[in-house]
Amino acid sequence: MANSNLPRRIIKETQRLLSEPTPGISASPSEDNMRYFNVMILGPTQTPYEGGVFKLELFLPEEYPMAAPKVRFLTKIYHPNIDKLGRICLDILKDKWSPALKISTVLLSIQALLSAPNPDDPLSENIAKHWKSNEAEAVETAKEWTRLYASGA
Amino acid sequence: MSLPVSMSVVLDTIMCQTLTSRIIPRNFRLLEELERGEKGIGDGTVSYGMDDGDDIYMRSWTGTIIGPHNTVHEGRIYQLKLFCDKDYPEKPPSVRFHSRINMTCVNHETGVVEPKKFGLLANWQREYSMEDILTQLKKEMASPHNRKLVQPPEGTYF
Repeated sequence: MANSNLPRRIIKETQRLLSEPTPGISASPSEDNMRYFNVMILGPTQTPYEGGVFKLELFLPEEYPMAAPKVRFLTKIYHPNIDKLGRICLDILKDKWSPALKISTVLLSIQALLSAPNPDDPLSENIAKHWKSNEAEAVETAKEWTRLYASGA
Repeated sequence: MSLPVSMSVVLDTIMCQTLTSRIIPRNFRLLEELERGEKGIGDGTVSYGMDDGDDIYMRSWTGTIIGPHNTVHEGRIYQLKLFCDKDYPEKPPSVRFHSRINMTCVNHETGVVEPKKFGLLANWQREYSMEDILTQLKKEMASPHNRKLVQPPEGTYF
């Protein structure tokens, strides 16, 4: 099982990720496991995450692309759709996954999620409540966490 | 953003790589174990969960075993501590009983499950899980050399 060739699809995607990176996103496979990627996403401008560098990890399971990549944040982030362990509530990672999607579309969607938090479909109940009851204050907390944990230093 | 590794090196690696590992990395493996533990396992006589919900590396876990029927352990609830280091699951977690127990594979002073006396840890394989450890320890409680051993008072801890 450990000795199989990397599927062509994954090789092509990896080459694309490296040769034509999306602005604000980088993803590179780890040396000892080409299905395991170190990912960095820059906090989008005009969001509470602006200026932050967010580390994520991504893994392509054996069934990929029939199954979605597994991905989570390693950097702490204050966001209603991301929990304390960095797990992400995003439909395309669950029931809306399609083999037509790719690593790059997943990462773009995560970047978009940072721009558009959705407290009505929360993963972190407390953060979602905060977002709905006092958005200005929740945004301040998110900025504070970006400064504390995602400053890239 | 600049690429962390020079691209040509990475592409060379991809092209040359014939032995690609498909093994699930530590963190995703532990997330799977966490989800399985949250759903609840089998008849509920073994269970486990994370100690610190904020620990992104998911190192400390508490396991629970309910003593098997027809043994001195029947009806007792045993708490254990499992620690998954960075090299888990290549290496087994360290396992110790928090609740006092008298068992051949458990150190009498510390509660540590001694790998030399517990085959699953001694012959560890990365496919094994914390659930396997707890299930195997429960079986061990019911084995002939453990099922009748005199036990310390209930509710005491190492």
